[in-house]
Amino acid sequence: MAEVPMLEMKGITKRFPGVLANDRVDFDLYAGEVHTLLGENGAGKSTLMKILYGLYQADEGKILLNGRPVEIASPTSAIEHNIGMIHQHFMLVDTLTVAENVALGLPSSRGVLTDLDAVSEKIVALGKQYGLEIDPAATVWQLAVGQKQRVEIIKALYRVARLLILDEPTAVLTPQEVEQLFATLHQMTADGRGLIFISHKLHEVLALSDRITVLRHGRVTGNTTTEGATRSSLASMMVGREVKLAPDKPETEVGPAALEISGLRVIGDRGNVVIDDLDLEVHTGEILGIAGVSGNGQRELAETIAGLRQAESGSIVIAGSDVTNQTPAGVRSAGLAYVPEGRMKDGSIGPFTVAENLLLIDHNSKEFLDAGLLNFEAIRKHSQSLVDEFAVKTPSLDTPVRSLSGGNIQKLILARELSGTPNVLVASQPTRGVDIGAAEYIHIRLIEQRDQSTAILMISEDLDEIFGLSDRVAVMYEGKIMGIVDPKTVGREDVGLMMAGVSQEGRSAPGA
Amino acid sequence: MSDFFTEAVLIATVAGAIRLAVPLLLASLGETFGQRSGVLNLGVDGIMLLGAFAGYYTVLKTDNVWYGLLAGIAVGIGLGLASSLISVTLQAEQGISGIGVYLFGLGMSDLLFQRLVGTPVPITKFPKVDIPGLSDIPWLGRMFFQHSVVVYLAFLAVPLAMFIINRTTFGMNIRAVGENPEAADSLGVSVAAVRYATVTIGGTMAGVAGAALAIDLGIFQQNLTNAQGFIAIALVYFGAWRPLGVMAGALLYGFVNSLVLQFKTLGIIPQSWSDIAAMAPAVITILALVIVARRFRAPAALTKPFTRGT
Amino acid sequence: MSRNAWIWLGVAAAALLVIIIVAVSGGDDETTETTEAAETTTTVAETTEAPEETTEAPEETTEAPEETTTTAAAAEPIRIAIVAPSASNDLAFTQSIVDAVNVIESERDIAEVAITDGTFVVEDAAAAIRDYATNGFDLVIAHGSQYGGSLQEIAPDFPETSFAWGTAADTFGLPNVFAYEAASDEGGYVMGVMGAALTESSTIGIVGPIEVGDAKLYVDGYKAGAEAADSGVTVNVNYTGSFSDVALASEAAQAHVAAGADVMTGTAQMVVGAVGVANDQGILWFGTQANQTSLAPDIVVASQVYKWEVVLREILDNMESGTLGGSTYKIDLANEGLVIEYNPDFELSDDVKALADQAIADIISGSIVPTG
Ligand SMILES: Nc1ncnc2c1ncn2[C@@H]1O[C@H](COP(=O)(O)OP(=O)(O)OP(=O)(O)O)[C@@H](O)[C@H]1O
Ligand SMILES: [Mg+2]
Repeated sequence: MAEVPMLEMKGITKRFPGVLANDRVDFDLYAGEVHTLLGENGAGKSTLMKILYGLYQADEGKILLNGRPVEIASPTSAIEHNIGMIHQHFMLVDTLTVAENVALGLPSSRGVLTDLDAVSEKIVALGKQYGLEIDPAATVWQLAVGQKQRVEIIKALYRVARLLILDEPTAVLTPQEVEQLFATLHQMTADGRGLIFISHKLHEVLALSDRITVLRHGRVTGNTTTEGATRSSLASMMVGREVKLAPDKPETEVGPAALEISGLRVIGDRGNVVIDDLDLEVHTGEILGIAGVSGNGQRELAETIAGLRQAESGSIVIAGSDVTNQTPAGVRSAGLAYVPEGRMKDGSIGPFTVAENLLLIDHNSKEFLDAGLLNFEAIRKHSQSLVDEFAVKTPSLDTPVRSLSGGNIQKLILARELSGTPNVLVASQPTRGVDIGAAEYIHIRLIEQRDQSTAILMISEDLDEIFGLSDRVAVMYEGKIMGIVDPKTVGREDVGLMMAGVSQEGRSAPGA
Repeated sequence: MSDFFTEAVLIATVAGAIRLAVPLLLASLGETFGQRSGVLNLGVDGIMLLGAFAGYYTVLKTDNVWYGLLAGIAVGIGLGLASSLISVTLQAEQGISGIGVYLFGLGMSDLLFQRLVGTPVPITKFPKVDIPGLSDIPWLGRMFFQHSVVVYLAFLAVPLAMFIINRTTFGMNIRAVGENPEAADSLGVSVAAVRYATVTIGGTMAGVAGAALAIDLGIFQQNLTNAQGFIAIALVYFGAWRPLGVMAGALLYGFVNSLVLQFKTLGIIPQSWSDIAAMAPAVITILALVIVARRFRAPAALTKPFTRGT
Repeated sequence: MSRNAWIWLGVAAAALLVIIIVAVSGGDDETTETTEAAETTTTVAETTEAPEETTEAPEETTEAPEETTTTAAAAEPIRIAIVAPSASNDLAFTQSIVDAVNVIESERDIAEVAITDGTFVVEDAAAAIRDYATNGFDLVIAHGSQYGGSLQEIAPDFPETSFAWGTAADTFGLPNVFAYEAASDEGGYVMGVMGAALTESSTIGIVGPIEVGDAKLYVDGYKAGAEAADSGVTVNVNYTGSFSDVALASEAAQAHVAAGADVMTGTAQMVVGAVGVANDQGILWFGTQANQTSLAPDIVVASQVYKWEVVLREILDNMESGTLGGSTYKIDLANEGLVIEYNPDFELSDDVKALADQAIADIISGSIVPTG
């Protein structure tokens, strides 16, 4: 490692109304290393990084690059200092193509004209080199989250940043994609770049980092090198107590089918068939896990069930009533709770307060209405109890949701959706971006819901989660169910192969 | 009805549609830029009025229509910058501040006219230009290729606007800023600079539209535009924020207007219906374009001021 | 939005408001200044400051119209206010009343004339009417048929003030409202006779605003005159649907050209657009409401000019004798409130002129009734 760190942040303090987000934080980074920031939701990780990237200005403290003090007043000056950032929430223009998103803000080789052909070529080349293949001509809103994340990484690679901030880049990636990303990142550190990494997935942190700094309540509470650290040591450093990494799961009685899907066919955003003649049943009292690489129809499946997308043909029945192509409100009244994959976009209303967001689906229920008007007293009580129960970190119930930390927005939506007693719960990536303490709690709640005989359809790319929670595992590939297996008898390897499109029979056939 | 299908009337209907469309087209193309970048400027009509007066007065004094057009441009740039200041820097509520600009233009243009001119005096109009070759084509030549210069300029502005919006880095920045200013900002695109530029383009085009109107009519009068600026804003919505759509809208509006006038003149629409028929252009244009444009979505950041870090 | 932004917006809005007020009252000053009466120009001079200066002191300017005269009211000479929909020099409807009051001002001892023009928004006009009445003007002229409803509400609140409403034939039975109108069909008829004699294509085009009141009367009269003179003439009438859309009026004229018209006329302030087209195409034009020769000296044949002073004299005589309203007046060819003014530069044959004179004589004698 070099003598002088490429980055030193000294005594950084940042206050928001009601929150001390960073409290005299010291942080440094040497060329060629990966330095991880670890901490609970709302610990102040993103805030510190946004200060480094010029999106926020620190109230106190200074930043040195290669030993020289610098002023980073805007993203422009961060870019000038060769700093790149992959944001926790996508910073993509949905209506632009992949190539346009990558080219944005860069000088063009053709002067005032865009040079998208050249950019596209380079994107394809970078994709080949780092295993991040993507169609440069695709419009971003049509992409699955995993693909969007690829675009974000390509944006950073394209800009040849010397110092790259990765704020939870793996939250939406499949295990294979994570592996590819890590290979890319290793290549980058070998070139002498410095990386700052943020993740709630401890095995990734252990696999990637050289050093780890732990933040709690805005303050640095620990430093360690990766050697000698374990998942449970990191977990207790972060949360301040022992954390159970795999939930207890009692046996339950499986009841009748509460969600019945038959012959479902759905057309995707690009006009192609994304769900093809799919049959599926989820029974009360069970968690059916859907495993699969993102972009194989999982998002569309969840959206179609929730009434957000048209079914071409086939039927969806919830607790005996046909809800095919009903409005979202109609589906909800049949007893569906829905935790969407894109929580910022579909699950919450940014400028609304915490209390208002918690009320979104219940706003017509008698409990909160007083002669047709909202009963604010009852609403506040209800909201406060949810916030406490799910440990949502917020200065107050009146804080607008967009200024919560990423993980806390997640918890808020889960709190809302899990607060009733639905017949069917569809949960997409329920713990993505949530810290391990909260993930533990969400898992416990999902199992409790199951035990109260809710039928749960859980979509996840996290195999730990799939194996830890599911009673049955369905693997999805190219819009079809490849097979349904019992997680107690079938191994991860097999599921992994099915996710890649190798059917169980196909695999076992040569052996037979 | 048979009177309608005569060469003179059919040609006049189409040529009239084109003439009526031109000021709307110019103004709404300009407004398209602003809205694509997320700024709604409701002051278009006010800028048109001042541009109209500036154009008129300059031609009155210099007898040179090009100086008149330049005066319209100058006024448009000035008021475009002022509008940018109000909506981008001061972050005023866009639905309200534009009305202020409109009232300013309405009052100021009349005040200046009363002080500097008084009684309307006719001025030199734009020269008519017959496009060599094309203007001799029977029928079509007189419909499309025997117009005043600004008509051609206005229609040339359509592919130019398309080109700028779709093929240049500036246009890419406009689209990005109007859709997701945070993302653009995070890549070092200055949201404020882009919006200043687009709103100023919009102001300039509005100034040109006003000057074109006054110089084409050869006269100025209080409230000369008669709210054409507001129709131009509506056309941007109905044209789905695309230059071609905006052009289609302007032409449709001009065509229905022109057709109704011809029908009234020939008595096809009876006199007693003429007041109701006067509403037809607005109603038909809105209906047609709403049906066509329903599939398109407004720029996501339209009317939303941008501040970093919230 | 930040607090600063609101403050700025407030300042900008205030500045705009002031400029607009100056713009509106600026119109007044201009007209009042052009009147010959020496006494009044001094009172108004205060408000005629450059607009830049006035913007800095908003309160002062807004109050200025009220301050202009406070003392003169007690004396004999009376104060007249005009509220009108378009510009004072529109060469049409509004100008006709402004010109008339100027004539009256040169004949009689008038203390002050105040004008609020351009109030095409009826609510604005109503506010101005009430303001003038409150400020003690003796005669408030509401020059627009669309102001009737407002007047009906306001007049009873000011029994000492006399109101005149035109063009209309109804005083609402109120003792302090006069009504006045123009028999514009008479001049229309006369010019229609001339138009029929002059057209070579036997096609005449008329551009109108909305088919109501004075405009309708004129259009119908012109049409009747042309058709009576030559039953072979086609008269195409095009009401554009707007009093203010100049571009539409221009296109309406183009439509008439396409239909073969070589003589045109039109009424209301937006016809300047049509005159422009007539001028370009060398089409003969007949004007009304004011003398429109200056708009197109080559093609204007004649204009029917309104001399409202005929009516105003009677109204003022009534007021002097203590009657503040209740009667209805009409200007026509007989009382010379309507006059046909010829364009001296247009070579009109004596034959045609003779036809016109005959029509005038017949109308005055009553042997012709233009619109039955
Ligand atoms: N713009 C803002 N306005 C007000 N408060 C904010 C703002 N941004 C962040 N905060 C608050 O600052 C604290 C730290 O947030 P930050 O986003 O840095 O957390 P984080 O460590 O990145 O958490 P996560 O793992 O959930 O992403 C939180 O309490 C959050 O509510
Ligand atoms: Mg974060």
